[in-house]
Amino acid sequence: MQIHELVGAVHEAAWLPWAVQYFFLIGMSTTALFLSFPAFVLGRASSLPHARLALITAVTTGISGPVALLADLHQPGRFWEFFVYTHATSWMAWGSWIVMSYVTLLLLYAWAVNRPAFYRWGQDDWRFAWIFRFLAFGSPANGFARIIGIGAGVAALGILTYTGMEVAVVYSRPLWHTPLLPLQFAATGAVGALGVMLVLGRLFATGRVVEARMNRMLALALVIVGIIGALWFAVALSGISESHTEALASVAGFTVWQRIALWAAAAIIIPLVIAVVAPSRSGWITGLIAIHAAWMFRWTVFMGGQAVPKVGSGLYDALMPTGLEGLMGVIGTFGLWIFLLILYTTFVPWAEAEVPDDGSTSSAAPQSARTV
Amino acid sequence: MDSSRRQFLGAIGQVTIGAAATVAGANSASATTGSTTDGKGASGPHWGMVVDLRKCIGCQACTVACIMENAVPEDAFRTHVSVYEVVKEGRDPAMVMLPRLCNHCDEPPCVEVCPVQATYKQEGTGEVLVDASRCVGCAYCVQACPYDARFINHETQTADKCTFCVHRTEAGLLPACVETCVGGARIFGDLNDPESTVSRLLASNEVSVLRPEMHTDPNVYYIGLDEALDGRVAGEAAYKPPLTTSLEHHGEGR
Repeated sequence: MQIHELVGAVHEAAWLPWAVQYFFLIGMSTTALFLSFPAFVLGRASSLPHARLALITAVTTGISGPVALLADLHQPGRFWEFFVYTHATSWMAWGSWIVMSYVTLLLLYAWAVNRPAFYRWGQDDWRFAWIFRFLAFGSPANGFARIIGIGAGVAALGILTYTGMEVAVVYSRPLWHTPLLPLQFAATGAVGALGVMLVLGRLFATGRVVEARMNRMLALALVIVGIIGALWFAVALSGISESHTEALASVAGFTVWQRIALWAAAAIIIPLVIAVVAPSRSGWITGLIAIHAAWMFRWTVFMGGQAVPKVGSGLYDALMPTGLEGLMGVIGTFGLWIFLLILYTTFVPWAEAEVPDDGSTSSAAPQSARTV
Repeated sequence: MDSSRRQFLGAIGQVTIGAAATVAGANSASATTGSTTDGKGASGPHWGMVVDLRKCIGCQACTVACIMENAVPEDAFRTHVSVYEVVKEGRDPAMVMLPRLCNHCDEPPCVEVCPVQATYKQEGTGEVLVDASRCVGCAYCVQACPYDARFINHETQTADKCTFCVHRTEAGLLPACVETCVGGARIFGDLNDPESTVSRLLASNEVSVLRPEMHTDPNVYYIGLDEALDGRVAGEAAYKPPLTTSLEHHGEGR
């Protein structure tokens, strides 16, 4: 049987590139938070260099992500309704509470980790000392940072769960309707977070040892992404899940999707090989490819998923950027994130963040090394 | 109120079509329910639609009537008629029409995903509606609908969809698409009433629904729907954005 659609309606993407940015940034934020735990929660001083970079990543993406989410609402002024009319059957409704908790705990955690340095900067005699005296709240004590960190970690697990489930439960879109999606968001989020950390590591010259360590972690994350991706293909090809099979069939015949598959494979394999072969000299390239891979995965899932008609034939053009309006969401969010990165790395004594002192260890107070 | 326009004309003879139809609809609705504005309780109507594809000529009068009645923005549809050319082996090509609209499901996936309870199922009468004064425009319902029946209205910046013309049915009128249907292909009425035209059509014809695998219990039924068209239609699209035209070896199937 041959069918030619003569008259049909084209549906535009209802979730805009802002949503891609949110899922990209919040995925990196939550996984970066966990990468900060070895030093700031578990107390391993040897992990401090990369944990500091992880915290910068977690905070800056953790703030800019929810801004993008708000912008994706067509009625952003009504965001308060999420908290007043919470609908318990909706993952998105739960998400609004989880996002609020996560951002609050993340900022408290970052503040607690940096409090001793805030205190030191407040004791110096310089123009902005009063700001840091205020931020330190009169004491350098931060033993409670670990507990707050654990709380933020629980909220981060909530974020990874809800962001994955919110999309995975949409059974009207077979490409989204897979229990593997939360795992894919988490694994690709870690790839993106490590990419940002590698780039920051090069920018702030944290050294080859740190770079090699982060590249090894990136290689592990890329392998996990590859395994989950292979599992998705295996399930779709095996026919054991009708939804997965339908998802693959709905896109497999289209040139654009075939190119995306090759692109995705390259985005995993190329940085993986480089990270393994030259772990201590490749931070720029592996980092940038990793950031791109995490972003591209979400763009493909959200914009590509919305390009597949639910009842009509062919593909809609949601997959391709259509005009400046869609791109502005991407450019604007990246702009905000880069601004926050500059702000954080300039005004927060991130390089002085030490293992939180809960009274069990005694260490000499580090010297203040202001960047401003 | 339980008819297509053609049946109405057959019943009351030669009078002005629009005005008389609305009056007749109101009388009929009142007789059935007492008060259609209440619409609650098991004894009230449960609205449904039967689309008799044997009668649809694809004229899009319903599409236009809906747009005019509901001020649907230029770039969207609450209902439209998909048109396909179907070529079956050994047979001549056939034009197949498929009117699409919200199915007002009894298990609507759009309702449960709404984070602020702005979209809901009307008690009793069963329409799936959106409270535009509460909708935050998150478009989660647009994603969840398996029928692509929802969209974001860029004039109100809220979710929009077919309401079965609730403002008309509450006044005892037929939905605009039903009233305007040239071929009498859209029949609207009370599924709770075994004597209604829709109930009798359901009892006497083989009917099907769109995307039965979604288990949404739609209240829009089709007579004469080809199985190849009841889901995602695996065919050559009318609209082909760049890079989407290579359909040779297309693995898509049902």
